[in-house]
Amino acid sequence: MTDTMIELRELTKIYPGTDIPAVESLTMDIPRGEIVVFVGPSGCGKTTSLKMINRIIEPSSGHIVLDGEDVTNVDPDQLRRRIGYVIQQIGLFPHIRIGDNVATVPNLLGWDKERTRARVDELLDIVGLDPDIYRSRFPKELSGGQRQRVGVARALAADPPVLLMDEPFGAIDPITRTRLQNEFLRLQDELQKTIVFVTHDIDEAIKMGDRIAILEQKSIPAQFATPEEILTAPANEFVEDFVGAGATLKRLKLTRIREIDIIDDCLTGSITEDKHTLRRKLDESDWTALLLLDEQHRPIRWLRAPDFRHDRPVDQMGLPAVAFVEPHATLSDALEEMLIGSAGVAIVIDSRGTFQGILDIDTIINSIQLMRDESAEFYRAEKLIDPAEVVS
Amino acid sequence: MPVLVGAVLAVALGILAHRYRPLRTSILNLTSWFLTIPSLAFFALLIPVVGIGDTAPIIAMTFYALLPIVRNTVAGLTSVDQAIVEAAKGMGMGARARLIKIELPNAWPVILAGIRVATLLIIGITAIAALVGGGGLGQEIYSRGINRIPSPGSLEAILGGTGIIVLLAVIVDTIYLGIGRLTIPRGLRD
Repeated sequence: MTDTMIELRELTKIYPGTDIPAVESLTMDIPRGEIVVFVGPSGCGKTTSLKMINRIIEPSSGHIVLDGEDVTNVDPDQLRRRIGYVIQQIGLFPHIRIGDNVATVPNLLGWDKERTRARVDELLDIVGLDPDIYRSRFPKELSGGQRQRVGVARALAADPPVLLMDEPFGAIDPITRTRLQNEFLRLQDELQKTIVFVTHDIDEAIKMGDRIAILEQKSIPAQFATPEEILTAPANEFVEDFVGAGATLKRLKLTRIREIDIIDDCLTGSITEDKHTLRRKLDESDWTALLLLDEQHRPIRWLRAPDFRHDRPVDQMGLPAVAFVEPHATLSDALEEMLIGSAGVAIVIDSRGTFQGILDIDTIINSIQLMRDESAEFYRAEKLIDPAEVVS
Repeated sequence: MPVLVGAVLAVALGILAHRYRPLRTSILNLTSWFLTIPSLAFFALLIPVVGIGDTAPIIAMTFYALLPIVRNTVAGLTSVDQAIVEAAKGMGMGARARLIKIELPNAWPVILAGIRVATLLIIGITAIAALVGGGGLGQEIYSRGINRIPSPGSLEAILGGTGIIVLLAVIVDTIYLGIGRLTIPRGLRD
């Protein structure tokens, strides 16, 4: 086992009838288990580069080495069954059911029925679609977001070590896209696939990538580095322009909630407790509000002192709890949830909806402050060794 | 019968025309060229080859059936969403599997519409077969109708023959609706 999953060696593509190569001599090592994002302006050859990996587009010259094996000349159909493929238009087969769509590659590989069936159910479950409901539906009966989930499930069907994704969330509305991105990152935490991901959206690249390749025309990498490096130390003007303004704001997308200290000692009460106990808890604490949890410890409502004046059942008092985020979400997601929900705090829950803690605006501001200090130090350090400065 | 033979032949030609672009124009031109031959002349031309009787009309009608079916096969295959084809390819489905499992089922509604048009077209033309010794409802119109004008009953024979042909067309059309219902995958129906 090497640490590099995909090696691209001098890959070049010249389309027939053109002189200028679409991709010129692309050489890159894609590390095992990481998400590498190809990002660049339209027409830079990023999609062509991606499609040469599974040879949907045959390279004009150069080599592709997959897990130590040169696959430039192997049978393309066999190769593609080892590589998951997700495209923007999804391309679900409209004439067969969701279950059969997901079973495409297992069927090609000749798995037996029982194994395929079990795998299909498992995958639908993984991508958050109830197999009993969705297995026998047709693609047209699903929403765009659901279809893309099926697209991902289908690509994962035979458990390929490598996944190629060509703007997978490009055609989906922003809110669903954010949700799918988060779910996908959570999935990747477990799966540890090697993923090559193409997008034209730098924000998506920063969010999804363990490593980002910013590509110029002819797919020439302007910088191939971690998102942090690209934001704090852009290699050249092209990268700087492409990343654009608001690098600090973008760094909010890099910090995940689990990486910062959330408030986990806030006041909570259980729905099983009676009104007086809850009231007393609130009065005795320094908190202005109490978060009511249900039997499974899932947050349901915010209660404040005046709410107890109304004679209502506990589960109808106060305001419904909003702005839920999961620990793997970014600070930017949390901020957005707060703004959407007009709430001063975001509630952190785990994937089962269990209460973990809360996050307020101050927490976020503090972490921005911390980031700014770090980059200030970074730039000061740069300046210290700047030869121009030494001379003057 | 001509429809069935025509359909098999035409779908094959259509796939060929779809696959190999250079062949596409020539195949489409050739089939439309057949349709421009007046049916009576076509029947007559075939008589020296296969003689008088049912054979000449059957061969001729097979050719007439070609055009609408070939056209629709090409149109149907071309209209299949390229994303679907690319997805299939990207998952390692070979060219033949793609054609049979993905492209043809998705093009089927359009192909079937072509077969339906071909059938209706042929029902109309069949009547003329009577002139070259073929059987069928044409006999009613020509032998007992037009040829015997103005003897009594000739008009009734013409009207009767025509009426039955129209009725037949309507019935066949309905049958096609049923075939469509049975053979078009549910995921493709509106």
